Amino acid sequence: MRRVAITGTGLIAPGGNTVKEFFDALILGRSQVRKISGAHFERLVAPIAATVSFDAADYFPAPKLRMLDRVSQFALAAARQALSTARLEPAMISGARCGVFLGTGMGGAQTTDDGYHTVYAQQSDRVKPFTVLMAMNNAPAAWIASEFALTGPCLTYSTACSSSAVAIGEAARRIACGDLDVMLAGGAEAPLTFGTLKAWEALHTIAKVDAVDVSASCKPFSRDRSGMVLGEGAAVIMLEEWGHAISRGATILAEFIGYGLATDNLHLTKPTVAGQAAAMRAALLQAQIQAQLPLGTIGYINAHGTGTLANDAVETAAIKEVFQGQAYKIPVSSTKSMHGHLLGAAGALEFIIALQTLQHHQIPPTMHLNQPDPVCDLNFVANIAQAVLPIEAVMSNSFAFGGTNVSLIARRTHR
Amino acid sequence: MSTTLHWLQTTLIKDYGLNADQLTPEASLEELGVDSLGVMELFFAVEDAFQISVPQEQVALISIGDVADYIDRLIATQHPKQDAQHSPEDAIS
Repeated sequence: MRRVAITGTGLIAPGGNTVKEFFDALILGRSQVRKISGAHFERLVAPIAATVSFDAADYFPAPKLRMLDRVSQFALAAARQALSTARLEPAMISGARCGVFLGTGMGGAQTTDDGYHTVYAQQSDRVKPFTVLMAMNNAPAAWIASEFALTGPCLTYSTACSSSAVAIGEAARRIACGDLDVMLAGGAEAPLTFGTLKAWEALHTIAKVDAVDVSASCKPFSRDRSGMVLGEGAAVIMLEEWGHAISRGATILAEFIGYGLATDNLHLTKPTVAGQAAAMRAALLQAQIQAQLPLGTIGYINAHGTGTLANDAVETAAIKEVFQGQAYKIPVSSTKSMHGHLLGAAGALEFIIALQTLQHHQIPPTMHLNQPDPVCDLNFVANIAQAVLPIEAVMSNSFAFGGTNVSLIARRTHR
Repeated sequence: MSTTLHWLQTTLIKDYGLNADQLTPEASLEELGVDSLGVMELFFAVEDAFQISVPQEQVALISIGDVADYIDRLIATQHPKQDAQHSPEDAIS
């Protein structure tokens, strides 16, 4: 198998529209969760979310913008950054061995909402011509392929909250096995529409609004946790075959070495220790076989850590099952406490956070963890960032409704 | 200048962010960044503004002037009793 280099990263996220700005905010423990307003939002039980500060007009001319749902706007902006930070020109990735794999759970949610509003609420037959093109789940990936004239594979994965982690893992696999040389991979999500928020509310998974501090409403691994808070944004990374990156003198941020995939098949929403542990073990096994990574060299885990009662307890148990006694020594944090749950974009965003810890030796905290839960007893880096010695490898977990569990592993660059 | 052409220019300035000095009747839609999908969306607004139905047929329209002439022909066919300079209701608002 061929080695896979990570050479670029880009994001639009709550807290920052560059990787540096975003990671700095996380290290400072700044939550982006706030009250949200909009048509009908007063009917939400918990009108809160983690929002981005994003003016699309800064990124797109008006004619193009009229065809882009918010989810595609985020995806394109993040992809441009990934390309730019990798110091690749679009002409350098236009061949058939370059492509884009993206993940999204909800696709063009605002466009879908608007279309239904037109036909059902307004009783009108005047649905906008671009509705299908803006709402379809593969629109973000298709726009990236179009903008950069990619002629290789352009695929969209939709496995709910692990969508973009799957996209990254599958892209890395295609490079490793020799099918492709350069891939943009990641995810995008723009779920903060009334219809989507109501649907999530109906699942009884959304956190209660913290009565004292709205920004502290998402409390992963804390005994008083009450659920997740949705977020929006996109994250895209540039993956390259190792020799390709070396030959053009690229700065290699990290090496992609592990992709574990396992399915919880007992229930659509109920996580299992076995399913989550299987994903982590599969990623670790791949890292051990293909990159000779000794088991036990994981220096940070970015947890799925949604803040729901079920996930956080199960994930804690799964980490302990996989890492045994060493589990207590590994810093584990849920940054969703600050940037919210980006659903289909979460895996890619959190993988970028894990990559940042490799470079900066700083672990972002799990915020709002004020009441230790006996069943969540690992080192969750509660409320204050932790400085660490250089880390050899990092893991990012993404577990999904529908049961698709993913773990990704990257290690620091060794030439 | 026809009312239709004026409506088109105003709409392209307002909704597509184009500059007035670009929007001569001879200006190419493609060069203005309004591709076939953009024209489709423009016709959606045309239908509302002029109370006409744009047929689902392929029509070669190169310039802004071509689009204005096409709209005028549709108005003449679908609203034959109205003036040639058909004024769209609140079209310029």
